[in-house]
Amino acid sequence: MNFALAILVLVLIVFRIGRRLYKAKYTVVKKVSQPTPWQTKLYTVWVFFVVNLKRVFRDRLALFFTFLFPLIFLFVFGSLSSNNQISLRIGLINNSSTAFAKSYVANLEHNRLFKINKGVATLAQANQSMSRGEIDATVELPTSFGTLVNGVPTGQAIIHYTHNNDQAEQTLASLMQTQFNVINAHYVKTSQPLKITSQVSNQHSLTAFDYTFTGLLGFSILGVGIFGPMNVFPELKKMGILRRLHTTPLRVWQFFLSNMLGQAVTGLLSLGVMLLIAVLVYHIKIVGNLAELSLFLILGIILILGIGLALGGWAKNERQVAPLGNIIVFPMMFLTGVFFPRFLMPQWLQTITNYVPLTPVIDGSRLILTEGKSILDLGPQLAVMGIWMVIIYAIAFRVFRWE
Amino acid sequence: MVSNEVVVKVKSLSKSYDGTIAVDGISFEVYRGEIFGILGPNGAGKTTTLEMIETLRSIDSGSASIDGVDVASKPYQIRGMIGVQPQSPGFQDKTKLTELIQMFASAYGEKVDPLSFLEEVELGDKADSYVEQLSGGQKQRFSIVTALVHNPKVFFLDEPTTGLDPQARRNLWDLVEETRKRGISIILTTHYMEEAETLCDRVAIMDNGKIIALDTPKNLIKALLKRGFEKTQQVERANLEDVFLDLTGKHLAEGAVK
Repeated sequence: MNFALAILVLVLIVFRIGRRLYKAKYTVVKKVSQPTPWQTKLYTVWVFFVVNLKRVFRDRLALFFTFLFPLIFLFVFGSLSSNNQISLRIGLINNSSTAFAKSYVANLEHNRLFKINKGVATLAQANQSMSRGEIDATVELPTSFGTLVNGVPTGQAIIHYTHNNDQAEQTLASLMQTQFNVINAHYVKTSQPLKITSQVSNQHSLTAFDYTFTGLLGFSILGVGIFGPMNVFPELKKMGILRRLHTTPLRVWQFFLSNMLGQAVTGLLSLGVMLLIAVLVYHIKIVGNLAELSLFLILGIILILGIGLALGGWAKNERQVAPLGNIIVFPMMFLTGVFFPRFLMPQWLQTITNYVPLTPVIDGSRLILTEGKSILDLGPQLAVMGIWMVIIYAIAFRVFRWE
Repeated sequence: MVSNEVVVKVKSLSKSYDGTIAVDGISFEVYRGEIFGILGPNGAGKTTTLEMIETLRSIDSGSASIDGVDVASKPYQIRGMIGVQPQSPGFQDKTKLTELIQMFASAYGEKVDPLSFLEEVELGDKADSYVEQLSGGQKQRFSIVTALVHNPKVFFLDEPTTGLDPQARRNLWDLVEETRKRGISIILTTHYMEEAETLCDRVAIMDNGKIIALDTPKNLIKALLKRGFEKTQQVERANLEDVFLDLTGKHLAEGAVK
């Protein structure tokens, strides 16, 4: 897989840099040259990153929430939006025994525009089903339907519908009228001066699942970026682990940077698994460059992680952070296109939600993934993300507490 | 063992919280390789004193320095010179002992061979275990190792033996003795007078944020006897702890937790 390759290359690059730092430190023992203070400080970041990454892969609960949990959502939303074709649910009552009626029923049953509810056999059942909203309308073929007059089938089909479902009736009537016109034209030759021909365009339009999928990527980033540190940091404080680290020369930025590396790697792996499933199961079309997508997603993870670092770094315990976390996370879920596309919102709300931190992440990854945009085309998204990154990390460094 | 060289210098150190004075202008010095005890009832200001010298709390007034480096103005340099053993050491789970040592060494900017450190405290065979698999005593020893990976000048222990069984406590005393032999000064707080008497070269007794006595344990006892103090009960030639250790053995109860 292309994506897997992109991740592999990225991980290799990070590891190479790490190894070089590692070796640079190692030469101290043998050579006279001292490592620069910066090399030593980055070596610290590297060790924390590696050890904590190993720890994630030993922790079954962490693995579940990182890799399996987003997949559950993917499956649920995937199966919800995969039958996105418009179809009318109808009941069909055939009282006629003519050959024409039989073949017409068979035709309706095979038409993908109709979904025929087999449980409806009588008008009474049809009325009950319609009043419950289980079906949209009912087609009744009377006994005379399809009787031959002069060798030509004739008859009248009746559409039953409820008051608040006249839209279904109109659609159904026009669909059936079109069918009848074709059949009529077959038996009664008349000239038709006006015709319609359809042509398929080469453009690939976005399916609902394309929106759903990038929304779910955003959901997964929320999990990795915010819920991760929000749950882990207070626990580390409770056990006095951060307090103990505070007695060492470790700097806050070193601690943050090791977290960023760790969450970027686990987050990217998690998103990669989601993409793999989306391609294999839901046949999502990857149009853009996967290396660029990975780079963009890493930026997105680091941005959202800033919120998690601020929340977890500030909180003294879990109870303190949970309400605040929910206040921030839940509006983000509903305002940024995680669960439904933003184009369904009124214009003013779309304008406002353009500036919520997660919005450019979701929009940008959709633009790369399904519209083939380059990361260089995402100026507006990157600008919003950049500004938020400065604000969020400024807050995160400010409110961080070791205990 | 104990040299005349002053390592830790504390001068009229003070700290108050919301108008309540926690530490009230205390001064003392600690020599290289000395074991210095701070005693006192709860709330006397022992922990606050330690935390100020450890750079964990800001200093209201007065000063503290280690090897001539000022604590208040150079906190990061100080943190590289000290080791700290907290009251209840906690470590992240699902992390091997060797990895934790690597982490702490790297936090001090060092790269070390973790196994040699573990072998020093008889934890070599636990190298690949997680901390949650260690017994209380083993955890204490491990915690001490992580605080000494960078060969600090001063080692702080806050009530290190609270909650340990007598064997683990004696083992920890041995470790503290060995640490001092490497020329590291040790500052510890304790509620066990017996511990202070056997371990400490000098003790400071604090009450209400002030040091009310500072001398060797022997001199403090002599001074008390001079004032005409007499114990109401004749001292036994052995006590219950001696009985306990005689019956259960002086060696560490390693088999208990595997």
